[in-house]
Amino acid sequence: MDMTGEYRIAAARDVVWAALNDAEVLKACIPGCQELEKTSDTEMTALVVLKIGPVKAKFKGAVELVNINAPEGYTIQGEGTGGIAGYAKGSADVALAADGDETVLTFTANANVGGKIAQLGSRLIDSTAKKLANKFFDNFHKHLSNEGPEET
Amino acid sequence: MTTVNMTVNGKAVSGNIPDNTLLSEFLRENLRLTGTHIGCDTSQCGACVVHINGMPVKSCSTLAVSLDGAEVLTIEGLTKGGKDAELHPMQVAFNDNHGLQCGFCTPGMIMTGIDMVKRYKAEGKDLTSDAIRAELEGNICRCTGYHNIVKSIEDAATKM
Amino acid sequence: MSTGIGARVKRKEDKRFTTGKGKYTDDIRNDNQAYAAFVRSTHAHANIKGIDASAALAMDGVIEVLDGHQLTGDGIGNIICGWAVTSKDGSPMNMGAWSALATSKARYVGDAIAVVIAETQAQARIAAEAVVVDYEELPAIAHVMKAMAEDAPNIHENAPGNLIYDWELGDEALADAGLASATHITTLDLTNNRLSPNPMEPRVAIATYDDAEEHYTLHTTSQNPHVARLLLSAFYQVAPENKLRVIAPDVGGGFGAKIYVYPEEITCLWASMRTNRSIKWTSDRSEAFLTDAHGRDHVTTAKMGFDDNHKIVGFKVDTVANLGAYMSLFSSSVPTYLYATLLSGQYNIQNLHCNVRTYYTNTVPVDAYRGAGRPEATYVMERMMETAARELDMDPAELRRINFIQTFPHQTPMLMAYDAGDFPKILEMAQDAADIAGFAARKTEAAGRGKLRGIGYSTFIEACGLAPSQAAGSLGAGVGLWESAEVRVNPVGSIEILTGSHSHGQGHETTFAQIVADRFDIPIESVSIVHGDTDKVQFGMGTYGSRSAPVGMSAVVKAMDKVEAKVKKIAAHTLEAAEEDIVIEGGQVKVAGTDKAMGWHEVGLAAYIAHNLPEGMEPGLKETAFFDPVNFSFPSGAFICEVEVDPDTGVTEIIKFTAADDFGTIINPMIVEGQVHGGVTQGIGQALLEQVVYDDDGQLLTGSYMDYTMPRAADIPFFDVSHHETPSPNNPLGVKGCGEAGAIGSPPAVINAITDAIGNNNLAMPATPQAVWRAIQATKSVAAE
Repeated sequence: MDMTGEYRIAAARDVVWAALNDAEVLKACIPGCQELEKTSDTEMTALVVLKIGPVKAKFKGAVELVNINAPEGYTIQGEGTGGIAGYAKGSADVALAADGDETVLTFTANANVGGKIAQLGSRLIDSTAKKLANKFFDNFHKHLSNEGPEET
Repeated sequence: MTTVNMTVNGKAVSGNIPDNTLLSEFLRENLRLTGTHIGCDTSQCGACVVHINGMPVKSCSTLAVSLDGAEVLTIEGLTKGGKDAELHPMQVAFNDNHGLQCGFCTPGMIMTGIDMVKRYKAEGKDLTSDAIRAELEGNICRCTGYHNIVKSIEDAATKM
Repeated sequence: MSTGIGARVKRKEDKRFTTGKGKYTDDIRNDNQAYAAFVRSTHAHANIKGIDASAALAMDGVIEVLDGHQLTGDGIGNIICGWAVTSKDGSPMNMGAWSALATSKARYVGDAIAVVIAETQAQARIAAEAVVVDYEELPAIAHVMKAMAEDAPNIHENAPGNLIYDWELGDEALADAGLASATHITTLDLTNNRLSPNPMEPRVAIATYDDAEEHYTLHTTSQNPHVARLLLSAFYQVAPENKLRVIAPDVGGGFGAKIYVYPEEITCLWASMRTNRSIKWTSDRSEAFLTDAHGRDHVTTAKMGFDDNHKIVGFKVDTVANLGAYMSLFSSSVPTYLYATLLSGQYNIQNLHCNVRTYYTNTVPVDAYRGAGRPEATYVMERMMETAARELDMDPAELRRINFIQTFPHQTPMLMAYDAGDFPKILEMAQDAADIAGFAARKTEAAGRGKLRGIGYSTFIEACGLAPSQAAGSLGAGVGLWESAEVRVNPVGSIEILTGSHSHGQGHETTFAQIVADRFDIPIESVSIVHGDTDKVQFGMGTYGSRSAPVGMSAVVKAMDKVEAKVKKIAAHTLEAAEEDIVIEGGQVKVAGTDKAMGWHEVGLAAYIAHNLPEGMEPGLKETAFFDPVNFSFPSGAFICEVEVDPDTGVTEIIKFTAADDFGTIINPMIVEGQVHGGVTQGIGQALLEQVVYDDDGQLLTGSYMDYTMPRAADIPFFDVSHHETPSPNNPLGVKGCGEAGAIGSPPAVINAITDAIGNNNLAMPATPQAVWRAIQATKSVAAE
């Protein structure tokens, strides 16, 4: 299932773009993210705790930034395995459009799961994925709204 | 690890067990009361139903350490045991009405059945076959098609 | 009260089950018990590039982590399919290699890759999560119709295009000619939905290696412990048969799922030797959904032609069947010899042809589930008959009657020689019990309440009593399908029956005792049944295919024949009479017409004391027999289902379900009725509720009872069950078998009733409220156009 959303952020596009490439910001915004370490400019390793239905598991995996088109957008994709719980994969195409002093962020995201999470939580995947995607961009929006003034 | 004391089938028992021990595990593994069965892992099938302080509970979804001081009744506690021990009317009814085949869901069915008969009698309500079927929502049987389970509970209700 | 054949004897085994004293495999715990947990593929199709067990091995309580390379390195053999089916071009079926632990490639979600052995079950399960498998994900096939696509990924190298076999039965030219001559042709596309058998007791294996004796004991949830031992010894090379004891104690239902030897039993036995510990594995329900063999999963197109007299003149069936990721033990035979052979149904059809193609997919192996092939055949047949009757504007019962086989034996063009039956009679019985005459009034009354009422038939036949060994062998079976029995009369006259049949709910401890009590006229309490242990019972082929009565009991009868002959010789000798004058009755062995008699127990005693036996007679009173049937048995039935559909919600209520069956001689009507209740309920489950769902990536989405809808008490009505007995001429008791009939006959009756109610024939199983509601809307929109 594809999920889409749009946020209006009270910050310039360059600022938003910088934040989208900042591992510390991403760590703070990815729901359940406990660790995020940069291994290159576009690659990170992550430890994320996810709860889908009755299954709660720690997912170890990689986050990668691709299709980079600074400062207009990129695709952020992640893939993690949670042992017996299975695996989760997701990606989001993020686009930034400048609108005066503000930036309009739009995204299209999708998610896939496998293993025990799929067997036990399949009913909940679509709604959970939607919730997680919204949570991420919500966090991101809030993060910039709070810290934006200090940086500018 | 936590020490828990409870009364199971009229006998005081205790155990020093990990906090995440389920009542079903405590009964089966610590007390070796293996009449309580595990048929699923999502609290759906009802093969593990026991009575706690007179209420029917799925023992697979109850933490044993939460039951300090509780009175637990399992399928093994319905009769005294021994050669000529009298069986509970529900146990007799399941035999009389062919209410079981493989027997795996039977302990849960019997414990659920006893509770429903008692509850309806206490409330003065008529335990119709439709009511029995509705009350069996939490108990799955794959063998009998429920026909004879419903008949067994109807029969026992006249004798309890 | 009589306890003989035909008596409603209450079950002897019930006391232990109703008091919690049943002994199921999971109730056993050995002194040196260790526990296994399996590392399973989370991908439907992936190369295994590496397994890192270092973290798991360092965890508390972990004894060992073992993988497939070690397993194959120790010479453990691949899991096999035991029935060779040959394609119509003469080529053998393409059996892909199946190692108990996958080595290079995982082929379905749940495929076992490694096993963790630990001191406790919890430690094993936690450590299994810490085993890291490096996967290279491959594209997967979740649905059988995608397996045949040109660009489909290849699952087994030796099965190009994922095809296992392309097989046919019958005469295609005749069927085509028949259809060409027809004045009416009915065509249907049908899907037989994929099911999970779901015995309430999950599978369990406890393997115990004795290093001093180099001997293995396996306690397991099996329907056929001797077959398990044979496979584990001869094919999987775990241990020679004399060094392997297989015990199937109380087993909580089987329905086919517990016929097979699975990777877990093999792995536990081998791991027990590797670790010198007793190894216990208990499946949880999610694992059961993931790994127990599934059932059904056919896609079929069928064409049936009728002449002006409404007689069937041609029938062609084209079926595609999904066998999953590997070929399970009987998988090949289910959509072929257990399916196409029954496509003549109860009808006289001469021009018949069936083509079956089976494919691999990245799903759990598919094998026999209650009915196995025969429910699929019946569904095709009976949906066709009902649809044709509607198209021809005929009474569906009348169309069936016109085409019924009337005389026996009847040779169909699909190998089967039906031995006995009375199809018009059982249909009439069902119609009377269902009050067909009153249906129109009930329909009108229901319409007044805004409900749609419908009625559906299913008249079916099954081939049971698997199977004549020679015939089965000629069709590709790898084993003989006889049964064995031993009758042990003790010195005090009590009797033990040792049988190769296995009871996992069928009540053998009662019914087998009934035939003995009946024969020797002794109290049923003096008869005990021993089964389920390869050290106690010499051999047996187990219980499936409704074979325990027609084959298993027949072996007991043959052994009793021998016992009776010896008893009569001893009595004649002792009482100084002629053997032919000896009769056995009332607990005595008498000289007919005289007052000379010995107690039954005195004959037993005489046989063992052996002070005064006839010249040359061996002491003792114990006889063994093997029974190999000369033909299948052919139970038949007529089912009528009456439903009411709520057009606003699509919810179907089964108002009445009537079953009239011909099972031949009935040993215990109470138990037979119970079998029908349970079988019909599984069929109703298939028709209304149950469906295994994989997503397009091969992830199983129905992995628990939250998502896989089991029939519950409120979904099911009381049943009206009646019997008509035409004894089978092919076994000494005249029995036909009753275990599968309900599951075989009921799905089309339910769907025929719903489609009748809603006036739209385009409805697939499971007919969930949503599916029914959509079908109603489709009818409305057609009507509006």
